[in-house]
Amino acid sequence: MIQLYNVCKSYQKDSSSALHNLNLKIPKGDFVYITGPSGAGKSTLLKLLYCAEKPNRGQILVNGQNITRMGSRHIPYLRRRTGIVFQDFKLLENRTLFENVAFPLEIQGKKRYEISNKVYQTLKHVGLHGKLHKYPLQLSGGEQQRVAIARALVIDPLILLADEPTGNLDIDVTLDIFDLFKGANARGTTVLLATHNREMIRRFPRRVIALDQGKLVEDFTP
Amino acid sequence: MLDQTVYLCRRVLRNIRQSPVLCSAAIGTVAVALTILTFFALIVVNVQLLASHWSEDIQVVAYLDNAPQPTRLKEWRKLIEDMPEVARVTYVDSEEAMRRFSTRLGPDSDLLEGFDAEILPASLEISFKAEHRSRKAAEAVVARLKQNPDFSEFSYGQDWLERFESFLDMLRIGGGVLGVFLLFAALFIVGNTIKLTLYARRDELEIMSLVGATSLFIKTPFLLEGALHGAMGALIALGGSFALFQIFLQRGLASLLLVSGGGQVVFLAWHQQLLLIATGIILGLIGSILSLRKFVRI
Repeated sequence: MIQLYNVCKSYQKDSSSALHNLNLKIPKGDFVYITGPSGAGKSTLLKLLYCAEKPNRGQILVNGQNITRMGSRHIPYLRRRTGIVFQDFKLLENRTLFENVAFPLEIQGKKRYEISNKVYQTLKHVGLHGKLHKYPLQLSGGEQQRVAIARALVIDPLILLADEPTGNLDIDVTLDIFDLFKGANARGTTVLLATHNREMIRRFPRRVIALDQGKLVEDFTP
Repeated sequence: MLDQTVYLCRRVLRNIRQSPVLCSAAIGTVAVALTILTFFALIVVNVQLLASHWSEDIQVVAYLDNAPQPTRLKEWRKLIEDMPEVARVTYVDSEEAMRRFSTRLGPDSDLLEGFDAEILPASLEISFKAEHRSRKAAEAVVARLKQNPDFSEFSYGQDWLERFESFLDMLRIGGGVLGVFLLFAALFIVGNTIKLTLYARRDELEIMSLVGATSLFIKTPFLLEGALHGAMGALIALGGSFALFQIFLQRGLASLLLVSGGGQVVFLAWHQQLLLIATGIILGLIGSILSLRKFVRI
């Protein structure tokens, strides 16, 4: 599913690498934690996978497709199969929950009735179907993150990338959010979750890829 | 296809509804820039109209030592009328010259009593075709006529013509430079205003890109919005420049035209009005394209 070969990434010439000679293989349907201290390269790895950054060296294959050689015209189509969740949610504050979750489907040119149906089902799945017409700022942090996850899941992604999705949330909300990721994984989505929340890893043990200063320091499956 | 078009229109309208202040700023900027541009264009167009009216008076008068024989006169007329610059040749004999002089003197015409008409020389008045009403053409004709010793003197208002042509050149160059400068200034201001609107929506642009929107999908509504701002700004500019035209040009220039016997002060013709709206649309589009290049990177 995801393969990285000798991937190097540095943001400035002569500066230390954000990622250094990284080799990884993540099979389809896997659930992987990417851990490490701040600056370890977790976010950089995710950015490389949704083509927000290009590696300086090495190759990245997603579903057999070499995305390091992908032209900018093709990147949107890769992202249509990839759900992305951020720590700061990245929701549109001037749009309702329904509109936020419908956004990726509108972009893909889906029919209106199809969008309505799918968005309602997805919001129901994350427990927010009663707040369809609320705006993000009318919700709690945990609810906003659930909307962001709904937006990522509404496209039935092959891969779900989450960058510190529970960084600002308390433990109860974090547990709910993790349930959503586990559910997506159970339906066949490959999940890569960047976190330094050791408690979560202890509670839901899955494969852990640990990075430090851009290098792979640990890769184990409990 | 229809769904996509409806969706695009909805997004444009939503954008306008959600940022009324920035939209008004963009429209206002286009309106102000184009009003100034149009007002200056109106001044240039009307002064040129005045100038072209004056240029109708350009003619060469060739004075004759002696009144010519009818056959000779016929020969000269044919010779001159065959010149490519010449539109018409009028023979003015001494009596006609005296009559004109007398008319011009008006109530003082009795001063001419006792004078013989022969004191005034006969002359040929040579008028030019519209495209040859210039000092250069007048000089060319005079140079050819000077080869004939029967013409003693020529008058074609050399000094006046020179000044008049310099004025016309200055008007054209000045108008052109000012027009280009104002257009670039308008483009710069419009571009920056649109950049502000895009900056306010940078989150939306980023999210669109992250959820798989193509560059064209992201840019099209903003381009349409830019074009719409430009068109609305141009329509306001049309109204604004018409108001300025009524207030300043109608009164100011009209009195000048009236004194000089010229025509009326004119507003933009319908095709010029369409050109103004097209300019507004192009300004909005270019402003959007330049700003989008900075904000939309996939």
